[in-house]
Amino acid sequence: MLRELYEQLKGRFPLGELSEKRPDLAFITLPREQLRPVLLHLRDQEGFTHLVLLTAVDWIEDDRFQLTYLLHDRQGARDIGLRVMLSRQAVIEGAPMESIHDLWPTAATYQRELREMFGIDFPDSPGVNEDFILEGWREIPPYRRDFDTLKYSNETFAPRPGRESQDPAQHMKAQLYPDGA
Amino acid sequence: MSLSDVLSPFSAWKNLFRDPVTIPDPLNDRPGAPRYRGFHQNDVEKCIGCGTCEAICQNAAIDMVAVAEIATKPGDSGLRPRIDYGRCCWCALCVDVCMTSSLSMSNEYKWVDHDPEVFRFTPGVDLKHWDSAELGYRRPEGHRLTGNERVDMGELEPEARADSFVEIVAGYDLEQAKLEADRCVSCGLCVATCPTHMAVPEYIATIRDGAYEQGVRLLYQTNPFSNVCGRVCTHRCETSCAARHEGDPIAIRWLKRHIIDQVPHDRIKQIAAEGRVSEPSGHQVAIIGAGPAGLTAAFDLAKAGHGVTVFEAQPAPGGMMRYGIPEYRLPYDKLDEDIDVIRSMGVEIRCSTRVGEDISIDQLRAQHDSVLLAIGLHQGRSTRIPGSEHRDVVSAVELLRRITLGERFEVPETLAVIGGGNVAMDIARSLARMQRQQHGKVGVTLVALEAEDLMLADREEIDEAREEGVVIIPSRGPRQCVIERDAVIGLETVHCISVFDEQGRFAPNYDDSDIQLHDAGLIVEAIGQAADHAFLGEPLTEALEWERNRIRIDADGRTSEPWLWAAGDAVQGPDVITAVAAGHRIAASMMAIFAGKPAATR
Repeated sequence: MLRELYEQLKGRFPLGELSEKRPDLAFITLPREQLRPVLLHLRDQEGFTHLVLLTAVDWIEDDRFQLTYLLHDRQGARDIGLRVMLSRQAVIEGAPMESIHDLWPTAATYQRELREMFGIDFPDSPGVNEDFILEGWREIPPYRRDFDTLKYSNETFAPRPGRESQDPAQHMKAQLYPDGA
Repeated sequence: MSLSDVLSPFSAWKNLFRDPVTIPDPLNDRPGAPRYRGFHQNDVEKCIGCGTCEAICQNAAIDMVAVAEIATKPGDSGLRPRIDYGRCCWCALCVDVCMTSSLSMSNEYKWVDHDPEVFRFTPGVDLKHWDSAELGYRRPEGHRLTGNERVDMGELEPEARADSFVEIVAGYDLEQAKLEADRCVSCGLCVATCPTHMAVPEYIATIRDGAYEQGVRLLYQTNPFSNVCGRVCTHRCETSCAARHEGDPIAIRWLKRHIIDQVPHDRIKQIAAEGRVSEPSGHQVAIIGAGPAGLTAAFDLAKAGHGVTVFEAQPAPGGMMRYGIPEYRLPYDKLDEDIDVIRSMGVEIRCSTRVGEDISIDQLRAQHDSVLLAIGLHQGRSTRIPGSEHRDVVSAVELLRRITLGERFEVPETLAVIGGGNVAMDIARSLARMQRQQHGKVGVTLVALEAEDLMLADREEIDEAREEGVVIIPSRGPRQCVIERDAVIGLETVHCISVFDEQGRFAPNYDDSDIQLHDAGLIVEAIGQAADHAFLGEPLTEALEWERNRIRIDADGRTSEPWLWAAGDAVQGPDVITAVAAGHRIAASMMAIFAGKPAATR
């Protein structure tokens, strides 16, 4: 049933590909300029009144950030996700993304989180530059794939005294071939 | 006001009869959700101590620690993960990546103590009340971070290979090798199992990085026969692979071959020569036998600047790698490449030179500081059943040698092979190829004493032999070679009920009522080999200490004579990689002696 909707939408908007996950869940990739008109259409004409979430994926190998806007149609009990691809390099250099807080006020919270965790800027989004859950963060945004979590953890949190670990291969050689052969 | 507005307060009453969705006693009874990521559980019997949980932990919360009750054994490091709850963030990556699914999380989440040290514990070893909790987070079905399935190896189909000696296995291409290498979690459990402790995780990593020259460098640190071992190694490493518990083990052998296949031969020679001592030490070593043990020792010794001469009875070097292993498994040009690298270290190999005939062992002793015996097992054992003295009852090793030497001999349309090991498969499959070439059809019957599931040959050898038309009959003992008018016409066998007695001694038990005759114009015995020690001469044979019919050696490969070492199949089987390991040990042992004394002037 979502394929039908996709075909209808395609008549009105230039869209990318459809990815159907379940009969009641599908994702549409679309050009960034089409995001707002399609969101408005889905919200006002098709019953997708609820913004379930707004999140991002870091496709570091492809130099892309993917934004996913997941919408829910309560009457039709169906979900549709809109995917927008951003140039990762451009985002890191400060290129902004349009805010949708005027369509759903809750979007401001998601956008504030994305600003903090991925460094994706949504100018005009209320409070977007305030700390969300990280206070006094000085590193690159931690959900970026090039953030080295383990390194940060080791540098930031002192190891408890008395910790030691053994390398399995070295331990086995020492146990099974004590003469070092 | 509508009717429904009047009734609706009452309709809520029906909920009185439903199970409550709230918790009756929330202050005392608050179980975690069924898939809650609570405190860790570890089934220590299932755990193999591979440390993949430690490697993936983004908080460095896991240490691998020795546990007194758990012994290190092949395929199990004996270490177990200890988790520091001061750092853990319960992300469950350790559970998701666990190679055996031993690690999981209970839905327990309350733990109070005044001592902060107790929050660092070894799940499953430091016993906790949640160890047996049924609920909690488990890796979902089908959810794997590492691939379960081995990348398929291209092989010639039976129709394409059954009448030729062309190599069967194609080798991985770049993309296949990278995919297979990506499955490796670099735990290193395989390293201890490999007799020569090859740096397996490190060389597999070079495939991921495309750093093939570094890969070759790592291979040569422990093994100068990577072309050979990349094809025919018994790959016991793969039996210790962490990936085998919930999928296929990593194709370690094929990945080794892939590395050596990627680098041009001349470049391999340069890499192998890195660190070579060009200044001669003056020490001279004689090595008898140019097989894997002798040539590995020769490689190490020559690379360190010692003079090495290898004496080989056959016209070409390689020993059983050339005269035993059929060409369809190990092409001669690939063996030649490995040996060429060894020669380029300055090793002199004198072929067609039989010690005891062309030169005596006393001469070798007089002209060299030390001597290594690496003569292999080149004499076939006989069943000694009636008729086995007939000229058309021959040993497998002799026939394999003749095939390698390029002798063209007529193969009868039917023949029988006695034996169920890999040598039996080698000769059966070789003769089947010759039958197809000469007669257009196969007539090989292979009889093994052991039952189907206990046969000694590798399973893939058995399967491939059958694909090529060899008829394999397990549980048959040979009774006699049937001879009519001075010609072998068949092999008589009897059903074998069991091979060993209760004490585990070799004592076949036969059912004499079940006797069969297999048509055969030629009977090949492949029941084991022996070394030919005659060339040692009586005084040396008397002076040496023996263990049954093997020369006794110590852990360094030294015999009871201070100038003489021994290695390879003749003293310590069973395979190429074991011989390579022995070659390294002996070179190190000889060099330790050389270090303490100046070279003799001759």
